[in-house]
Amino acid sequence: MAKAFHEIRDSIHVFIRLSSDERKVLDSPPFQRLRHIHQLALTYLVYPGATHKRFDHSLGVIELAGRAYDVVTENINSEVKEMLPDISDPLKRVYWRSALRMAGLCHDLGHLPFSHAAEKELLPAGWSHEKLTADIIRSEMMQPIWDEMKLKPDDIVKLALGPKEATDLKFSRWETILSEIIVGDAFGVDRMDYLLRDSHHIGVPYGRFDHYRLIDTLRILPQAPPDKTGSPKELFLGVDAGGIHSAEALMLARYFMFSQVYFHPVRRIYDIHLKDFLKETLTEGMFPTDISQLLLITDNEETAKLFAAFRNPLEKGHLTARRIICRKHFRKLWERNPRDFEINPLAGDYIFKAAQARFGPDEFRYDLHIPEIGAPDFPVRLSDGQIVSSLSISKTLADLPVPVVDYVFCNPDILAEAKSWLKDNHDQIIQPKGEEEGDE
Amino acid sequence: MNSLKKAAIITSLIDSMRLKGSWCGETHLQKATYFLQELLNVPLGFNFILYKHVPFSFDLRDELTALRANKMISIEPQALPYGPRINSTMISEKIQNNFPKTIKKYQKRIQFIADTLDAKGVLDLEKLATALYVTLQMGRKSSIEERIDEFRDLKPYFSSSEASSTFDVVDHMIEDSRKIVK
Repeated sequence: MAKAFHEIRDSIHVFIRLSSDERKVLDSPPFQRLRHIHQLALTYLVYPGATHKRFDHSLGVIELAGRAYDVVTENINSEVKEMLPDISDPLKRVYWRSALRMAGLCHDLGHLPFSHAAEKELLPAGWSHEKLTADIIRSEMMQPIWDEMKLKPDDIVKLALGPKEATDLKFSRWETILSEIIVGDAFGVDRMDYLLRDSHHIGVPYGRFDHYRLIDTLRILPQAPPDKTGSPKELFLGVDAGGIHSAEALMLARYFMFSQVYFHPVRRIYDIHLKDFLKETLTEGMFPTDISQLLLITDNEETAKLFAAFRNPLEKGHLTARRIICRKHFRKLWERNPRDFEINPLAGDYIFKAAQARFGPDEFRYDLHIPEIGAPDFPVRLSDGQIVSSLSISKTLADLPVPVVDYVFCNPDILAEAKSWLKDNHDQIIQPKGEEEGDE
Repeated sequence: MNSLKKAAIITSLIDSMRLKGSWCGETHLQKATYFLQELLNVPLGFNFILYKHVPFSFDLRDELTALRANKMISIEPQALPYGPRINSTMISEKIQNNFPKTIKKYQKRIQFIADTLDAKGVLDLEKLATALYVTLQMGRKSSIEERIDEFRDLKPYFSSSEASSTFDVVDHMIEDSRKIVK
């Protein structure tokens, strides 16, 4: 007799259980492709353990999505229940649980090789991995699986992408809340899994937090009063008071993982060199947006091209491939610091342009990035039932800084000369220019 | 519009709103920016969508994160149970001073928004922003009944009379704004 459930060993969640229908998604070519896309691109050149793939992460997300769904739908008060009629319908509850788990499993299907490394510059305007994910979920290839599971692909797209990315779809209140379970800024299980998984594989403890406790205390709650005039009748994912410290730990984990790992300067410059290589070697410098073409490409094909280019000086991208493989990456010339920032918030851009003008445009790279994370303001239900803003009860959350990348990188061959030049000219270079005529 | 000019306008809006007694949390600022961009044509470039059934911009949320990261705004937690307020900072004052032409160009429009929305709370702002969204989507030539139906489809917990009076206010705002945006 065929097994009703299939168990997969996982380094973070121990076992991940899939139904036979869910297993068909796992076995589909678009999902199997994720076995060959590194979660963190070339980060393994800095942290050797960072060789895990989108495949493992997506399995982690289905597991956490199912757990979070069960907790939030079983711990709900009458006011919220009235606002979300689907919760009281047993058949709909089963449907949406299945749709949410599939959204968790499929949320990364459209990733380009090497995940996020320079995605924006390697796709035509208006395209993103989220849009490609939606195309794959809606594709003829996946449709028979959804038909068997009696799931609507657009429902999976909504929950996998959320209102920010699935802008062509109209969301109900219920669908909006469910999408927050996957992609929500505060408690999205996508982020929970990647923090836990990345920190585990990399070997840094910063990304750990008590996700068992956190998920057990997740609740669908009315918005805390934004001011003294009352609250809009809207719902958000929040926590019971007992979960506030686990929530703080999650936000601190996020801060430390960004500032210590994701924004590590050498990791960042490898992303830039990789983008340069792909721009040089891909047809018209872009990945295809036709999913039948995209699904043929993984990290493996691009890594093979990288080595071929490294071995043959006549191949396109040879010099960039050498930089990556021989670790001749650009070095940090400047990074944001309070003194320069106070004089000119655009100091990095000024230094980059001045350095290019002095030494040549190809000798430098500029990297400015701020992660898309909102303020950690979410509703918390106190033991007396009162709903309060997280920031009104947690100084830890209120004081949490936003991590920033702001680096100027330099070709190592001229680094010493560039450093000396910058030392001599620094103060003059970073002086802010006045507003130009007609510039307003 | 470059990022520093955008920062100068948004922080100037925050200053003007707070002077008029606005609570100036993120929701208040989202709605005020929506009016500034869509009603007064200040080209901030934010994409507003219906989120939780009212106009909301994820781009603006990301911009506010960037302003926090760059220490141009700060979050001021409030006493239990209320949400935080947003403050401008010394750095944002400096940025505004660096862009006098930009500030001068849009000052009247910023002031119009601050004056019109004054100390309104989120419930009133939600009604006004939804009414403007419906009006811009359907056009002012559509009947008031059609607009009310659409409004109540989005916000069923407001009555028809509340919707109707909100459209009156928004129609006046549209007329008044035309005197400023010529």
